[in-house]
Amino acid sequence: MKKLSILLVGIITVLTLAACNGGEGETTSGSDVIELTLWNDWTEDRPENTAYKKMVEKFNDKHDDIEVVIEAIPHDQYETKLRTQAAGNQLPDMFRVWPGARLAPLAKGGATLSLDSIKDNWEGEIPEGIMKDYQYDGVQYAIPGNISETSLIFYHKDMVEAAGFEEFPKTYEELKSLITALNEDGKTPISLGNKAIWPLQSVYISTIADRFTGSDFLPNAISGEASFENEQFINSMKVIEELATMKAFNGDMNTIDEAQARSEFNAGNAAMHFAGSWAIGPVLDSVENVDNIGVAPFPSFEGGDGDPAKIAGVAGGGIALNSDLSKEEQEAALEFLKFFYSDDMYQQLVKANIIVPADVKMGEDIPQVFQEANKLAQGGLAPVYDATLSPELTDIINNGLQAITLGDKTPEEVAKDMQEQAEKEQ
Amino acid sequence: MHAVGKRRGAIILGLLPALIIYVIFAILPILQSFYYSVMEWDGFSEMTYVGLANFKEIFQDPLFWNSVKNNIFVVLASVFGQVPIALFIALLLNRKLKGLKIFRTIGFLPVVLSTVVISLTWSLIYNSEDGLINGVLRTVGLEGWAQNWLGDTNLAMISVCITVIWQFVGLYLIIFLAALQNIPEEVLEAAKIDGASEWTTTRKIIVPMIWDTVIVAVILCIAGSLKTFDLIYVMTNGGPSHSTEVMALYMFNETFSQLQYGYGSAVSVLIFFFSLILIYLVNKIFGKKMI
Repeated sequence: MKKLSILLVGIITVLTLAACNGGEGETTSGSDVIELTLWNDWTEDRPENTAYKKMVEKFNDKHDDIEVVIEAIPHDQYETKLRTQAAGNQLPDMFRVWPGARLAPLAKGGATLSLDSIKDNWEGEIPEGIMKDYQYDGVQYAIPGNISETSLIFYHKDMVEAAGFEEFPKTYEELKSLITALNEDGKTPISLGNKAIWPLQSVYISTIADRFTGSDFLPNAISGEASFENEQFINSMKVIEELATMKAFNGDMNTIDEAQARSEFNAGNAAMHFAGSWAIGPVLDSVENVDNIGVAPFPSFEGGDGDPAKIAGVAGGGIALNSDLSKEEQEAALEFLKFFYSDDMYQQLVKANIIVPADVKMGEDIPQVFQEANKLAQGGLAPVYDATLSPELTDIINNGLQAITLGDKTPEEVAKDMQEQAEKEQ
Repeated sequence: MHAVGKRRGAIILGLLPALIIYVIFAILPILQSFYYSVMEWDGFSEMTYVGLANFKEIFQDPLFWNSVKNNIFVVLASVFGQVPIALFIALLLNRKLKGLKIFRTIGFLPVVLSTVVISLTWSLIYNSEDGLINGVLRTVGLEGWAQNWLGDTNLAMISVCITVIWQFVGLYLIIFLAALQNIPEEVLEAAKIDGASEWTTTRKIIVPMIWDTVIVAVILCIAGSLKTFDLIYVMTNGGPSHSTEVMALYMFNETFSQLQYGYGSAVSVLIFFFSLILIYLVNKIFGKKMI
């Protein structure tokens, strides 16, 4: 019995000691400094991320009573982690979010805080059409930090010239002959990294399909007014099939990721790389001769119903707030957002070659590639597929396009799968 | 009697902390999975009770059966790859050999390496454009043998399995070596005196004496292969076009990429039963209660 009581006393002591420790820790952190954790995907070393981080630093320097702590998670894992934590009700105070369908479940589940109270701050500065990307049911949940054009074609001017083209092809037919010419020279025409299965959908199909179907098709197909088995939509996927059969891509396209494909392009191992505006900075930073890099819009397709001046794009860079924040924390977080999405940051982003939603003046020193890419946004934005489709539909088209490149599925089959899922969701 | 009773109290008390931790972190989550599996839930909104609808849907999903098929492939490759190879190498190494320790360390090295490192390294080795394997094949003039190892739907699973085998051979090698070294010297000497050849000794004495260890290795192998996830997740992410998607990966994608927590939980419940059945079968086949 004696041993037993010694043991009991021991356990109780340990437990009380542990409890005391916990209590002390809480009182210190709950004092006058409000600490806000901010989750983001600013892990890659690129100018836009540096600009974001600099803004956070500036904010911390100016505010003795608020401390924003950054926690960075690599892009491809970020959303998975966010969703997991959201399900466990353990979201951080602030977190980077993507617009449209990717924001919807968070907003619908009440995980994020409405920003309607500070929305007026950006009136006249950011067009309503772009603000809308971060709304759900008419409520604002984040402020756009940039515009992400998802479909740009980067190319090495000298390689295109060597293949016999004075300027970059404007039509798909011309693009195909460029690809054939490059293949005959033994050069890889397009560097693609589709292991994570989103590039073919987000970068390629978002714009190609828009060229064929027009911009009303996607919302209509989701609501049931149109069908994914639409011939024009199938035609757009046939483009992917055709590109794959004519060996437009590198052989390891399904086993390398987007960043690897980009460095292959940067190193001059491929003539073209299709990517979004997120690639402008990294490409300009790592190629040897910036003047040799050109950027072009997607070509036009014969018989398409869409507007060939448009490219796919969507607002990005928004930060949402946790709906569980206390009154004090909310105030601090809102103040941070007002500071963060300011002219100061948009200026920095433009210098970092990021396309921004706000109307800012551009100096002479802004590179040609960026100015051209920026111009492309003026032609109007087509919807980006994974920013509009439900996660299930995104998964079907992502995997479907990969299967098409492998010859495992036909465009018709993928369209049928998508239509079946869409009908289930209506 | 009295003394034992008192001691039993102390034993129970001593076990209690471990039991509590086990219940909270192992039993409760499993029960929770059962609970979620009959719900429709996107992780944020209200849950709705749907009965067995999730299971019905899973059984009708060809992608699930595809992942089961792939998983069985991994199990077979592991059991018939890892165990025999490890046993063979262990038998070779089980003699007075110079530098035995070095060989053992080399063999064991893959086990202690992080799976992510292994996956990335092998992805580079398998790369169809500038990977090591194709590079060697091209240099020796076997251009035609060069393959898109991870990018081809027919080859990807085999390529992944080779890496899985490579990763875990070392573990079973060490287990078998330990068992072999426990065989009494006298038995082997007696066999030698009786004039048994090395082959006969191995077949009739050594292997039967470590047979129990082999069975344990097989069961470990099955259990490990059923929950294989990280290596495939990094190497191929289940692709191309679902060709290397195993059950755990299917569950992960359904749950976290598509936000179907109820459905995903139902898949994990199935994985749970699937593992139980397989291990029960192995126990039955070998006729012994090992685990």
